[in-house]
Amino acid sequence: MTARVINFVRRSPLYVLWLLFLLVLMGIGAVSALHVLINGLGVTNLTNQLPWGLWITVDLSSIALGAGAFTLSAAVYIFGLHRYESIARAAVFVGLLGYTSAMLALAMDIGRPDRFYHPVLYWNVHSVLWEITMCVIFYTTVLLMEFIPVVIESTPLRRRRILRQIAHLLHRIMPVVALFGMGLSLLHQSSLGATYGVLTARPVWYSPSAPVLFILSAVAAGPSLTLFVTLLTGMLRRKRMIPLDVQNGVARFIGFAILAYLYLKVWSWAATNYYSHSPAIAGSIELLSENTPYGFTFWWFEILLGALVPAVIFLWPRLRRNPLLLMLASALVIGGLVVYRWNVTLSGFTVPLDWSPGVAEVFPINTYEPALVEWGVALGIVVYSWFFFSLGARFLNLYPQAKSLDEIAAEEAAAAQAHSAAPLVTQKQDADPAPLSLSDSQANSFKG
Amino acid sequence: MNDNNGIPVLSRRDLIKLLIGSGVSVAAALVLADPLDPLMRQVVAALQPKDEHTEPTGPRHPHWGMVIDLSKCIGCEYCVYACQATNDVPDDMRWNIHLVDQTPTGQTFHVTRPCLHCQHAPCVSVCPVTATYYREDGLVMMDYGKCIGCRYCQAACPYGARVFNWTDRGDTPNERIPAWGTPEVERRPRGVVEKCTFCVHRIDAGYARQLTPGVDPDATPACVNICPVRARTFGNLNDPDSEVSRIIANTPTFRLREDLGTDASVYYIPPEGMTI
Repeated sequence: MTARVINFVRRSPLYVLWLLFLLVLMGIGAVSALHVLINGLGVTNLTNQLPWGLWITVDLSSIALGAGAFTLSAAVYIFGLHRYESIARAAVFVGLLGYTSAMLALAMDIGRPDRFYHPVLYWNVHSVLWEITMCVIFYTTVLLMEFIPVVIESTPLRRRRILRQIAHLLHRIMPVVALFGMGLSLLHQSSLGATYGVLTARPVWYSPSAPVLFILSAVAAGPSLTLFVTLLTGMLRRKRMIPLDVQNGVARFIGFAILAYLYLKVWSWAATNYYSHSPAIAGSIELLSENTPYGFTFWWFEILLGALVPAVIFLWPRLRRNPLLLMLASALVIGGLVVYRWNVTLSGFTVPLDWSPGVAEVFPINTYEPALVEWGVALGIVVYSWFFFSLGARFLNLYPQAKSLDEIAAEEAAAAQAHSAAPLVTQKQDADPAPLSLSDSQANSFKG
Repeated sequence: MNDNNGIPVLSRRDLIKLLIGSGVSVAAALVLADPLDPLMRQVVAALQPKDEHTEPTGPRHPHWGMVIDLSKCIGCEYCVYACQATNDVPDDMRWNIHLVDQTPTGQTFHVTRPCLHCQHAPCVSVCPVTATYYREDGLVMMDYGKCIGCRYCQAACPYGARVFNWTDRGDTPNERIPAWGTPEVERRPRGVVEKCTFCVHRIDAGYARQLTPGVDPDATPACVNICPVRARTFGNLNDPDSEVSRIIANTPTFRLREDLGTDASVYYIPPEGMTI
């Protein structure tokens, strides 16, 4: 055993160093979390006027970035696009890590983590937050059901007959599970936007488009994260994790999802800020623009860099072919989504409530900057998902169709020769100065 | 159950029993560890002899409400301090706050704001665990035993009436005690949200003794009793003969952010120089 570990460290020193580095960061997160659990949420910079902050952003972003799982599972099991199975497993794993991260963030954020089970016991069907809690619990179960077969298949667990049978059973009921998962995802991904959208007292939040914007942005950003980690894994392991047509298909899908998101987002803005004048909304936006980077980050990070630029990259075939550009575009979408969730959470609270009957400016603008301990906990949660993805990418069969670059090169060479053997195909890059139409015997001699 | 060789094995039924048993034990441990847990309270209540006068009874079902006369309020903050002492509330968590505002003609006036006990309360709608709920007499209540401290109600309340227990207050002295009164309720634990209760403990105890809240000081919120200019009036909005009902019937009043449709139980008489 020890010998095997030493051997492994010797073979992949950088990988082991990376894991150790992540473990140290997780340690920082654990110490921060302990500080909060012992001393209470008073150690954060949250206030009664601004009670949600960085952790809610982490929570919202994790769930949105986990949306690749339901979109790609739906593609495979509901729409029958079976070639996407090559990326669906990784998407489910990313989803599982996203949802568990969200649960960690929520457990830190609520004042009484010991009562985490209360939403299950005391139902308030009028509360979108209750609906979200139930959906997240059920959906995490769905993700586990989708992921357990992968774990069984990739580890020595597969030697147990009963576990193999469970995996087989789970695989057989997967279409039903995926359908259930899609329903749950459509519900709670939107409800997270409704969490803000239904609050009548906050003009920046109160909006019927919030739920739809939340799900559209999640449908774009979830697969973006899956694509990003897939390309990164491929780059580091010198492999092509998924077939090129799947990579292209996912990129195109993300591109169209961004366009849908952008379309509604711009209209939502135009209808409430440009073509109409509600004093409450206009006043709030003015206040935000004067005191916070809200306006700047909205246009530059949410719209331009977070949606428009990546949409062009994803939809322009020539740009899409470059894996580095694809990674950049995915990262931009992810960044845009995080900025969007942060801006939503902060903007509604920054603008003070307006209930006093007179005309004086009674309430000051609310400000917030995360405390160091909040950054520590957030770091711990984010790194938790990196750590387990790093393990999974190495030890689990996340990409059943992965091929090493050597293998691909060999295949391509063979294909090129097969092509050049065909009489009417021209191969410009072919260094072989031989005439385009080879005789059968010549072609055969190449193969040999 | 024995197998063919007479060796006891775990049957499926035994396994299910075992699983259910351990599940129930874990749940019971969680409940027992939390003295405020609603289930725990139900058990305790079931074991105790029934007190016959705890539920409000009477010919007319009450709806408790308040009228605050802004033309009388002088901003002395007595109501703020009396509330802090009676309900043991520290300075940075005030349930009942005071503000200075201005009329359109530039005259300053004072506003105080308890919880408005809305009949369409945004906080009640959004609570994921029904920790905040309506009582039949119109009070919006907090169940400190159910609250998980998610603070969604703080985000939803249009009036900023809710405060969170960010820290464990321990035995930190409350400066308002004893000068402004003695605490009549327990301190709330860390991690839950709290707010003005209309001094529900006084209403319930008084009502049980046939006292009339709003008339008998023992059954009336502390903020109403202490006001030196009688700017606050409390009583049954469902009783047309109560003082609050008579004021609302005969004086122009308004409620805060009526446009939001919260249907608050607190009415305001506008300050001089302001029409509604």
